[in-house]
Amino acid sequence: MFRSFILKLFGLICLGLLFASCQSEPESWQRIEATGILRVGLDPTYPPFEAANNEGVLGLDVDLAKAITADLGLESEFVLFGYDGLYDALGTEQVDVLISGMVVVPERTRDFAFSEPYFNAGQILVTGGDTAGIQQMSDLNGRILAVELGAQGHVEATTWSRRLANLIVIPYNTPDEALTAVLNHEADAALVDSISGRLFLMNEPGLVRGETAVSVEPFAIVTRKEDELLLEKINESLDNLQASGQLEQIISKWLGP
Amino acid sequence: MLTTRWTPFLTYFVLFSFNPLHLGGFASHSSFFKRLSPHSSRSSLLTFLPALRLLTFVFILTLLQPAPILITPGPPQTVQTLHPIVGVHTRLTDEVEEWKIQRTLQLVREMGAGWIVEFFPWAYYHAEDGGIAWEHPDLVVNHAQAQGLKIIARLGLTPGWARPKDTPLNYLDETAYDDFAVFAAAFAERYQGKVDYLIIGNEPNLNYEWGYRLTTPQDYVSLLEMVYPAVKAANPEMMVLGGALAPTLEPAGSPWGLNDLEYLAGMYELGAAAYFDGLAAHSYGLTFPPDFEPAPDVLNFRRIELLRQVMESYGDSHKSIYITETGWNDHPRWTQAVRPGQRIQYTLDALDFAEANWPYVEVVGIWAFRLPAPTKSHMDYYTLVTPEFVAKPIYAELKAYTGN
Repeated sequence: MFRSFILKLFGLICLGLLFASCQSEPESWQRIEATGILRVGLDPTYPPFEAANNEGVLGLDVDLAKAITADLGLESEFVLFGYDGLYDALGTEQVDVLISGMVVVPERTRDFAFSEPYFNAGQILVTGGDTAGIQQMSDLNGRILAVELGAQGHVEATTWSRRLANLIVIPYNTPDEALTAVLNHEADAALVDSISGRLFLMNEPGLVRGETAVSVEPFAIVTRKEDELLLEKINESLDNLQASGQLEQIISKWLGP
Repeated sequence: MLTTRWTPFLTYFVLFSFNPLHLGGFASHSSFFKRLSPHSSRSSLLTFLPALRLLTFVFILTLLQPAPILITPGPPQTVQTLHPIVGVHTRLTDEVEEWKIQRTLQLVREMGAGWIVEFFPWAYYHAEDGGIAWEHPDLVVNHAQAQGLKIIARLGLTPGWARPKDTPLNYLDETAYDDFAVFAAAFAERYQGKVDYLIIGNEPNLNYEWGYRLTTPQDYVSLLEMVYPAVKAANPEMMVLGGALAPTLEPAGSPWGLNDLEYLAGMYELGAAAYFDGLAAHSYGLTFPPDFEPAPDVLNFRRIELLRQVMESYGDSHKSIYITETGWNDHPRWTQAVRPGQRIQYTLDALDFAEANWPYVEVVGIWAFRLPAPTKSHMDYYTLVTPEFVAKPIYAELKAYTGN
């Protein structure tokens, strides 16, 4: 009798655990699908990724958000925050996603999830068109490298100068000054962040961007961790945009080819 | 480590595995020891001999493991600097490993900074029964002293036993002022001759720093009244620094805090001058260059001059100012940040400016030398050295500036 009771109790507990495991957390995707609106959080002080004017918000991330929502059959609603408040805004469900030049931060993955990266904002090498043979950092021995004083490129270059005995690193006050040094043949190459580098190259087609980035700083779309279905949809959409060439078109529109 | 942890078990198994008769004894210590007793038979003892040899072998193995790393403060060093005004705010509070504490302070000395400001949280050390765990502060103080650094110690954070239940760590009210005074006095006494400056509290004009308790200058003056005589009784040489006010424009009645100039004036009105020997001050440049004119409605590096005017107006100009937090930030996204090159130039210019124009300023303490771990926020872009001990270009520039 007692044994039978224990067995039944055990069975009930197992069933309860099974149901509990099957019941998912509230998923935003159902609501988004029902309303047809994806609320996108961004900080509009980071051109060309996002900026604001009298007509609203514009920029690479804005175009990307619109392309993703169009692909998903939705509309975007942009909600503006200061950069420091973006994660809190997402965590408190004021928005559904962040598309705002957000760098993938492993420490944030306890509460948030990151999509596949859509842009690498790491350091790139820019050389003069006639500077033959410079494809990567290891080609710079005996060369002059321009960097932005104090920036991450400067730190990288200092590290490389320990490996390449004859690498000469010259710091300039801004990325544009470092790139101008290459243009003026004062330096063989410049190591700058890819956003500054590509923006400069839009007006100076005589310079060449290295094919491979020197460092990786991936930008991705952020969702709440429990919104697994939403993240899946966004990743699918990013894949579609990449396959169709639309992602590259958007990036090229704002940062050049 | 592994050997040490498993030695008892290994020994036990080794002993029994050499005598099949004793395998079942794993569950019975009493029978095992009984067999080892002088009354055991000779044959039984003989069966243990290989096991005893193995036991000896295992024992020797435990002795072969590397000794723990021995870190000593080393011979006393001297800071070489062309600019004795240069200081840094270190952040060793949460640094566990001793070598990291030592390495941080070595780098500070090699950079040519003669001062450190360091936080010693009351809550971390002081137990309800009165016991104080001095191990960690001893490490920091002794290593700093070995590097020849002057220490400004900042005390704060309230132990759980000294504040109401469910209040945050920085909650402090008048019921615990006397307990805080006991700790501050004990600290002053213990580090006599090693620590010469003590800051009472941090940014008391912000309600956050009182655990979101609405605060007035009266709260802070009452705290100083309690702590100052206790510290002086324990160590008359200790310089007690008051203030360390947050630069803010918050108006009276704000739920967040009170304008630092108004707060300082309020402190003087309530007689605070008798309870501090120097003024600690925070002075961030934000996006302004260091020589940008000060104004009551602007937060910039030269706000120090406005604090000085308040001191002078209350006849307290004989006291020095100790800038315990200052600096610029070069985060690429934060709206209050500047470019990395600007940050370097502004920092060097600020040191020059302070030296040339502020004879009443003893130290300019840059926030922050290094953090124990990345915060993954704009705070990482205030530092001079990364958590992995990679010196940023600003570190090299400061090192060159001090003639190192």
